Amino acid sequence: MLKTEGRNWIRNLRIKWISFYLIGTIASALGIALLLSVTGFYLLHLPAWIFAVIFTIVAAILLFSKPVWRSTDFDVSRFLNNRYPELEESADLLLQSETELSALQQLQRNKIENVISNLAQPKEPFKRLYFGLVILAVALLISFGITKIPQINKTGSITEETKNPVSAIKENIPAEISTFSATIIPPAYTGKGERKQKQFTISAETGATVNWKIETNIGIKKLKLIFNDNEIAQPKALNTAHTQWAFSKTIHKSGFYQLDLDGKKSDLYQIEVIPDLPVTIKITQPKQHTTIDIGQPQKFNLNVSLTDDYGINDAFISATLASGKGEGVSFTEKKLSFNTNFDNKKNITLGKLIDLKSLGMKPGDELYFFIKAMDNHGQSSRSDVYFVSIVDTAELMSLAGMTNGVNLVPEYFRSERQIIIDTEKLLKEQSTLPATTFKTRSNDLGIDQKLLRLRYGQFLGEENETEIGGDHDDHDEHAGHKSGEEKFGDVSAITDKYAHKHDIAEDATFFEPEMKAQLKAVLTEMWNAELRLRTYKPQEALPYEYKALRLLKDLQQKSRAYVAKTTVKVSALKPEKRLSGELDKITQPVQKMTFEQKEKRTAYLKTVLALLENRKTGKNFNEQDRFLLGETEKYMIGAAADHPSTYLNALTSLRKLGEAGKPMPKDIDMVQQAIQKMINVEPAKPQAQNAVPASVLYQNYFNNLNKAGR
Amino acid sequence: MEFKYITMLAGLLLMAFLLYKELRRPNRTRLTWRILANIVAVGCFVLLIVPIRYETHIKQNPDEIILLTEGTNPDSVAKLKGKKYALPPVDLKNEKATILPDLSYFLKSNPNIRKINIYGYGLSKGDLENLKGYQANFHPSVSPSGIIAVNWPDKLKTSDVLNVQGTYQNTGNQAVKLVLRGLGKSVDSTTIEAGSNKTFSFKTNPKQTGKAVYELITLQKNDTLAKEPVPVQVGDQSPMKVLILASFPDFEYKFLKNWLYENQYPLAFRSQISKNKYASDFLNMDSVNLNQINAGALKKFDILIVDEEELAAISPIERSAVNIAVNNGMGLLIRTTGLKPLTTLSAQSNRFEIPALKGKMLNLILTEDNFRLSPLPVEQGLFLRPSQNEQSVITDVSGKTLLSSNINGYGKILISSISSTYNWILSGEKTDYAAYWSKVLSSAARKRTDIQSVNIIPQFPVVNQRMRIITDLSVAGKSPGLTIDDVQLHPRQNMELPFQWDALYWPQNVGWTNLQVNQAIEQLYIYRKNDWQALKYQQTLNDTHRFIKNLSRNTNKIQLTDTVIIEEVSVWWFFAGFLLAAAFLWYEARILAV
Repeated sequence: MLKTEGRNWIRNLRIKWISFYLIGTIASALGIALLLSVTGFYLLHLPAWIFAVIFTIVAAILLFSKPVWRSTDFDVSRFLNNRYPELEESADLLLQSETELSALQQLQRNKIENVISNLAQPKEPFKRLYFGLVILAVALLISFGITKIPQINKTGSITEETKNPVSAIKENIPAEISTFSATIIPPAYTGKGERKQKQFTISAETGATVNWKIETNIGIKKLKLIFNDNEIAQPKALNTAHTQWAFSKTIHKSGFYQLDLDGKKSDLYQIEVIPDLPVTIKITQPKQHTTIDIGQPQKFNLNVSLTDDYGINDAFISATLASGKGEGVSFTEKKLSFNTNFDNKKNITLGKLIDLKSLGMKPGDELYFFIKAMDNHGQSSRSDVYFVSIVDTAELMSLAGMTNGVNLVPEYFRSERQIIIDTEKLLKEQSTLPATTFKTRSNDLGIDQKLLRLRYGQFLGEENETEIGGDHDDHDEHAGHKSGEEKFGDVSAITDKYAHKHDIAEDATFFEPEMKAQLKAVLTEMWNAELRLRTYKPQEALPYEYKALRLLKDLQQKSRAYVAKTTVKVSALKPEKRLSGELDKITQPVQKMTFEQKEKRTAYLKTVLALLENRKTGKNFNEQDRFLLGETEKYMIGAAADHPSTYLNALTSLRKLGEAGKPMPKDIDMVQQAIQKMINVEPAKPQAQNAVPASVLYQNYFNNLNKAGR
Repeated sequence: MEFKYITMLAGLLLMAFLLYKELRRPNRTRLTWRILANIVAVGCFVLLIVPIRYETHIKQNPDEIILLTEGTNPDSVAKLKGKKYALPPVDLKNEKATILPDLSYFLKSNPNIRKINIYGYGLSKGDLENLKGYQANFHPSVSPSGIIAVNWPDKLKTSDVLNVQGTYQNTGNQAVKLVLRGLGKSVDSTTIEAGSNKTFSFKTNPKQTGKAVYELITLQKNDTLAKEPVPVQVGDQSPMKVLILASFPDFEYKFLKNWLYENQYPLAFRSQISKNKYASDFLNMDSVNLNQINAGALKKFDILIVDEEELAAISPIERSAVNIAVNNGMGLLIRTTGLKPLTTLSAQSNRFEIPALKGKMLNLILTEDNFRLSPLPVEQGLFLRPSQNEQSVITDVSGKTLLSSNINGYGKILISSISSTYNWILSGEKTDYAAYWSKVLSSAARKRTDIQSVNIIPQFPVVNQRMRIITDLSVAGKSPGLTIDDVQLHPRQNMELPFQWDALYWPQNVGWTNLQVNQAIEQLYIYRKNDWQALKYQQTLNDTHRFIKNLSRNTNKIQLTDTVIIEEVSVWWFFAGFLLAAAFLWYEARILAV
């Protein structure tokens, strides 16, 4: 039948169109679903079957949004009419039955029929197919990339783990369990990837989520996880046969757990928590107490190094400014930032130049600051408080403290102050003075400074111009005297003649060593000032002068530590009246107390220790022993919850002892070791010594000895 | 005699006849051989009838025996001649020796025995007693390898240190590791080099209350050579009663008071507020009247702590009451601060002062234990110079005494120049504070007199072997009831010490055994037979050596009598000679000649 050739062609096209469209749609649905489920599976840790759900939903949406299968042959012919002008808008003629057609239609139909078989296949159906396939390919690529993300994370953590490999602990796993796994998902702040282990012993970061997946080889009615012996959790069964179980828990505290398979309890497994430590702050510069003298720049460099185990989130300087004196002290608090990006780095070294002037500090003010840092888990830590102070020159120059009555120190303080005043005056007048006058005046000041220094030197017992460059040439007074009156045989006189005796500078005065040291420091500063003055650099000399003055001031404060005796009038004591008051109304206080040992723990543990030792011979435990063991178990559960790695094995052994008929020496050893650890170090206690039974014979012997002694 | 010569003569005649016949014989081949054969045959024949006897000398005394004891080396004994006897534990293979079940019985039943040669590790003390009056020689074996001496306190009080000391003799050529193990873990260990004698001292704090058996294990690489039990008991003791008299309350007293209170020691504390007015604390005890110190009140206390000012301030009657109490056993601790003694009681030690150095810490040492305490931030200037009959209990690093002890009657007087120890508590060194005060109070306090004491001989009573139980009672003349393993023993009174009783017993079970003395129960540990073997061998070796040494000094050497024994040469030799010679003659005549 040639007549149906065109119709077939159209039908074929329709079938091809629909099938291609469906394939394309499904491919794109597949791609989208893949993308979504991969994200869900790897990043949000959803189960794998989520893919099926997502796929059906996406496919359904895509399909019903354009129900292509409803398209008929007429739709196709309409499309063909649009697409191919050669068909002359009469493709639908091919679909109508020949009998219904008019002659002209018949004619046209025959014409078209020849044309249509020669037409090229339209490309539209392929477009949809290609589109779907491209989506699928892209989705595949992206999802492949996503699967790699955890691995990238892992490579980081793997290298860490290989550095300190976790020792594989041998575990007893109940026979009912065919496979199991524990997935530890560390909290986000650690930046670590999840890890999967085939071990019940868990070591996880604080706040980590642990997913257990347990598969049993036979159906189990009830599977329980018992945490720390008091918290019971029931995992969900994943299938109706009750062989697959899953459970997840967030871990915040160390402890232990065990499985309960239909009442059959497994070994104890430990859970160890790796805590997140706060940021450690180390200030390398400045020193804890810094004083900024006159002339020094009023700024300082702050160098800090911060370290954290997972990452530093933020750090800032908290500074408090104290200004004013006495009751008028005012405090202003300021928060200074480091202006850097912390980026969750583990180590960071920060530096900041702090300008005290811009903080509004004046001479005499003090700055207290500390550094506060936060890690990415939100834990904050702070450093010690550091002090920076600027010396107040006005305070130094004031006469307060010198004008009052107690003035034990001679007048030399005014001289240093005078030198400072003169230096400042000289500097002020520098521009108006000729250079030579300036130099002579500077030199004169230097001489003044020298004289002052020498005067202080006398306080230290130095005879000459200090020991610095001191000479011993002018000793005429030594050479002259005593030459005439020599005594024969006087050894000391002879030695005196040849010896060059001075007072020892160190011991000549009555100052305390500390004071001497400070005086020496003053002299050094004066020497430095003199040097600058003599070399016509009064500007440079000024800081040294100020420092000398400050040290002198301190010295003065020190010598004011004691108060001179003043006349006090006290009425004379009457010895016969002393302690003769009436005391009959005074009651004698009596206190009575008895100390009660509230804690029975140590006593229990000590008894159990001996009991276990006794049972090493193989005797069975009786009822009373079991009660004691039960008490011990309570204490040990408490200890194991805090330190699972230390006490867990012992707890297992203790339980074995409680259940087993005959105690095993190995278990006893294990429990004994743990108990000894639980009993703290006992400090010594005074114990009376023992003596042999006192018999009359000994007594007589002693008495006779006593008599003989007399 | 006659017969002998007749036969010899007859023999000679027979020989002459035979020789004549030989010479006359026509066939002269092998003549000399035949003559020889004839001579031999006749000679042997004669000697068959007349046997040869000869005399021999034997050095051995017929009254001498060889006694093999444990540890005998079988190879060295094999060559010995004479009668051999062995004592039961000896197991000698391929060696004939009569086993002696009891040495004394054997010696009594064989009164002619005069001399005994002992081989091996020797005899125990009891057996050696039987050898008195005999002449004895000792041929010791090589010294045993192992622990040859050991000692430890078998009864401890809570918080006491268990100190196991002894000597290890390593005769092997490999180093040995000695480990003290107890309560499930190794406590202490040392290594003993090959071929050396080394003393060891292990220390540990037993934490149990009650009985425990520690083990002293000898290891050579991974082989366990020996495992010896070290039984220890830890018991609680009723705490000592303390009385403190203070002239004024200070921190030292306050902290001491609190520390004693928290450790549940009965304590009475009196401090003066005003003239004849006192504040008193009674902690963990009933109140007593402390306004007047008298002998009755002091009897209730084990130790009196007082500062010198207070001791000087109390009335002379009270002071003499204190003196009497000390004479009767009470401890007295006087805290001094001044250079001059204020009372006679505190006047024993000379005191001297050294200007205290500023900022120097005081480092104290417990002299007896050589234990160094952590430094105290105290500037100490006052020191003591103990006299000849005083013991310095606590010194500083340079050896200057700070606390000395002196015996006064039954009791002790301690004088201390240490003013403040509470700084230890303030700086968290609680163990040092406890160590210091435990030492001071323990060495001063009144001694507890036991109602009875029990001694066991030997040191290590062994199951099924004899042990002697010696009890000392406080009351003389009353027989104690001794029960062990549900067996009532009947003790024997010591003739010189009427309060001492002893009994013999053969324990039946290994391990802890209850010995009931009157109402009290003592715990004994009965050892296995093989425990402390090396030590026992060394002991018998030493005992035997000592015994032989004493013996040789006392008894003269008995001359060895030279006995002569006549022995007969076996006739079979002559018969064989005769047979051979006769056979030759017959063979020659019948076969060779033809």
